[in-house]
Amino acid sequence: MSSVLDDVVDPEALAPKRLGALFWICVGWLALNVLGAIFANVLPLVNPLYQNYNAINAGPSLHHWLGTDDLGRDILSRIVYGSRVSITVGIGAMVIGFGIGLPLGMLAAFRRGRLDSLLTAFMYVFLAFPAIIAVIAVLSFWTPRSLFKIIVVIGLASVPLVYRVIRTATLAVAARDFVTAAKVQGATDRRILVKELLPNIAPIAVSFLLIGVATVVTLEGVLAFLGLSVNPPTPSWGNMINESRTVMAQNPWLVLFPSLALCLFLLCLNFIGDRLRTYFDVTEVKL
Amino acid sequence: MSTQLLVVDDLHTTFRTAAGLVAAVGGVSFDLATNETVGIVGESGSGKTVLARTIMGLQPRSNVEVRGSVLLDGHQVVGASEREMRERWATDVSMVFQDPMTSLNPVMRIGRQIDETLRVRLGMDKRAARARAIELLAMVGMPSAEHRYRAYPTQLSGGMRQRVVIATALACSPKLLIADEPTTGLDVTIQAQILNLLDDLKEQLHMSVILITHDLGVVATRTSRIIVMYAGRIVEMGATRDVFFRHRMPYTRALLESSPKVSNPSHTRLRVIPGRPPNLSTLTSGCAFAPRCSSASERCHQERPSLEPAEEPGHVFACWHPLAATELHEAPR
Amino acid sequence: MTDAASPLLSVRNLTVTFGSGAHSVSAVAGISFEIAEGETLGLVGESGCGKSTTGKALMKIVAPSSGTIELDGVDITRLRGRALRNARTRMQMIFQDPISSLNPRRRVRDIVAEPLDAWKSATGSARETIVRTLLNEVGIDPDVYGARYPREFSGGQCQRISIARSLAMRPKLLICDEVVSALDVSVQAQILNLLEDLKAEYGLTLLFIAHDLAVVKNVSDRVAVMYLGKICEIGPSDVLYEAPAHPYTKFLLGAALEADPDVTVRGEVLQGEPPSPLDPPSGCRFRTRCPFATDLCASDEPALREVAPGHHVACHFPLTTLGSSPSPSPILG
Repeated sequence: MSSVLDDVVDPEALAPKRLGALFWICVGWLALNVLGAIFANVLPLVNPLYQNYNAINAGPSLHHWLGTDDLGRDILSRIVYGSRVSITVGIGAMVIGFGIGLPLGMLAAFRRGRLDSLLTAFMYVFLAFPAIIAVIAVLSFWTPRSLFKIIVVIGLASVPLVYRVIRTATLAVAARDFVTAAKVQGATDRRILVKELLPNIAPIAVSFLLIGVATVVTLEGVLAFLGLSVNPPTPSWGNMINESRTVMAQNPWLVLFPSLALCLFLLCLNFIGDRLRTYFDVTEVKL
Repeated sequence: MSTQLLVVDDLHTTFRTAAGLVAAVGGVSFDLATNETVGIVGESGSGKTVLARTIMGLQPRSNVEVRGSVLLDGHQVVGASEREMRERWATDVSMVFQDPMTSLNPVMRIGRQIDETLRVRLGMDKRAARARAIELLAMVGMPSAEHRYRAYPTQLSGGMRQRVVIATALACSPKLLIADEPTTGLDVTIQAQILNLLDDLKEQLHMSVILITHDLGVVATRTSRIIVMYAGRIVEMGATRDVFFRHRMPYTRALLESSPKVSNPSHTRLRVIPGRPPNLSTLTSGCAFAPRCSSASERCHQERPSLEPAEEPGHVFACWHPLAATELHEAPR
Repeated sequence: MTDAASPLLSVRNLTVTFGSGAHSVSAVAGISFEIAEGETLGLVGESGCGKSTTGKALMKIVAPSSGTIELDGVDITRLRGRALRNARTRMQMIFQDPISSLNPRRRVRDIVAEPLDAWKSATGSARETIVRTLLNEVGIDPDVYGARYPREFSGGQCQRISIARSLAMRPKLLICDEVVSALDVSVQAQILNLLEDLKAEYGLTLLFIAHDLAVVKNVSDRVAVMYLGKICEIGPSDVLYEAPAHPYTKFLLGAALEADPDVTVRGEVLQGEPPSPLDPPSGCRFRTRCPFATDLCASDEPALREVAPGHHVACHFPLTTLGSSPSPSPILG
């Protein structure tokens, strides 16, 4: 259908694309999460470690909006504080992953030749190794565990993936004539990488970044579930779900709310990433 | 009328897009006799490809509105369901597309792709279909057809692939073959081979051919009639020689004069029409060519001319200020 | 004309080989030619003949395996780094796909200014003035369109923007690689005329690479015909088209489709397809398709020799020889 239309419709005639209301709702929800994580200290929240022995395994109430856990700690407060860990790990790991993977991927795709062969072979060896097992193995032995170590390990583990996505995206752009044209005009390689290639792979990079953050947040949940994330009593979404396992029958709220928080967070990230990708894709429709 | 294989009457194809309605084909009428070749010439956006797909009954249901009538061998195509059309594709009407690579399945042996049509549509058994497929490949000039039967599309050159596409299209001996830019991506010498092949096959199989192209050279010697399209409408139609030498519509002349010729001396300044083909979603009520036309008047911008007959039989044009009806071009040396 | 004291560009034994060992392909297999200042040399041939690779090798977009490319007396094959980047600005190249040639994420005025920015040769109002002049020169209103993105333009307009960009550093040699083959006929003529105008205004020298013989004839002073990585004929365009000396040139011209119904249909059509460059034939590369080929053609490779002033052909049995050729019409170099 689109191919038929390409023949007859002038691109100028295409109405401007819209991201849609749902997109902005998702952005709003994420913003709320991030702001909550940043300002948890100044928000009127109960101390997440404070144990209220008068309200153990209590359901939602006016005093504890989302109820309390088996030690009488406020679930809402723990979710907000727990988001700090999840979001920090998600963003931190991706900063490392993209910080290394993006320049390497772009450089390899642009320069090709031996640099590309070497890097790609190296990255593929890493990719062949199941990342989750590697992460679990490293974290089991690298004690005591800290947020920093978790971020570094997950971040490094994501480098090959980022590298692969960015390299593929850059390859497609680097083959276009405007890159050759820039070269022919005497632009330096650095200039070509920054001015010609980067803006064109940015949409793919951004949407992959968002999906990457979502994946890392899930991974942190998995690690916490295995007891390999931050040590209790520091809350994270993952270890909250992990701890709630044992009391699931008495207190279903305890597993529901952290799971819901995690779920919504991931859903929003994925939706935004996906929406952005199609949004930028469509603007590239050619004659 | 009984000899007319195809009668297209006031055909409209309108797309509903985000930018509003786009009349890709805006009221086209013409007919085609059995064993005739007609050329449809136009630039991008002229609606020639959409017209072809509408005649094929290939337009999707959603967001497309087709009005008017396409009688193919006495049967209506407009409004026919896909199931009905499926009965008629390959046997009544077939199409050859511009890019042979996209119309062939890259992971299927070319023989299988021809076989399949034969077995599904003509109910041939495996062995008969294979024999016929090899026969077809030989017919379209595939060297060592028996051997090539087992080749994959990527192992063939562009010209050979187009031969395979033609063999597939002709597998069930269609009455009408629509060739949409069949030689556009091909080399000059290969282009000539393919066009000659189409010409020969047309005679051999006694079929009618619609040859769609932007290149006047393709249709100059291989058609009996030419239809010139602009912005979704026919602006001039007539016998090939009349369109070339006695055209009345300024656009036809501009098209002819802006194509470079081998016989021109070097550094020939080509006559150009300013601007570019129009945007179909913003057409006005006037003549679509008026903004680019040097002889356009106020009337041209307001009122769209309808097709008027010229002196020669079957020659029609749509213009308020037609060129003089004399021999416009001297027959070149 | 050809043998003027110091040609602007002088190419000697240029070879471009891709791959290595048994899988190596010589896309360009030792070609030599010169282009005089202010001249337009047309380079024609079918796909895979190495004409585009030649253009790219001149710009050092692909690395020449051997041979020399002298621009204004300086061998650019030896240049590296900044010197190479500098040399490239004196040559520019325009590509076939106008849309792919422009960065979709940059505004038109920044695209045109890119060479200036890369060299920091003009900033502020000087840069602004140059960009405006260039855009006006190619017929694009900088006030209306300067801030727009390439996707808002048609193919022809994109090609204009490409041309404007290529002129920003005031090059002496412009390499045009199939620059009009993706465009509509009417737009194609506009671009060809524009190139002629700019050539005069900027004192450009053109290497015009195309598969379309008519287009090449219309713009070139001299024409070189390539087949399978070699130049088989080179000469003044009027002479070469009028009296081709190489059988391949003759067939190529015979296959060209003229937009004229009176041209004899079916000149002799060249049969078969070019052999694989992986395994080129011994001796003359055209001999496998040449109707006049003899044992000599299989054993000895013909060298380019002069059959008329400035008209060279690589054939043991040229169709025109020194005595019989029509005297070339005077052509300005």
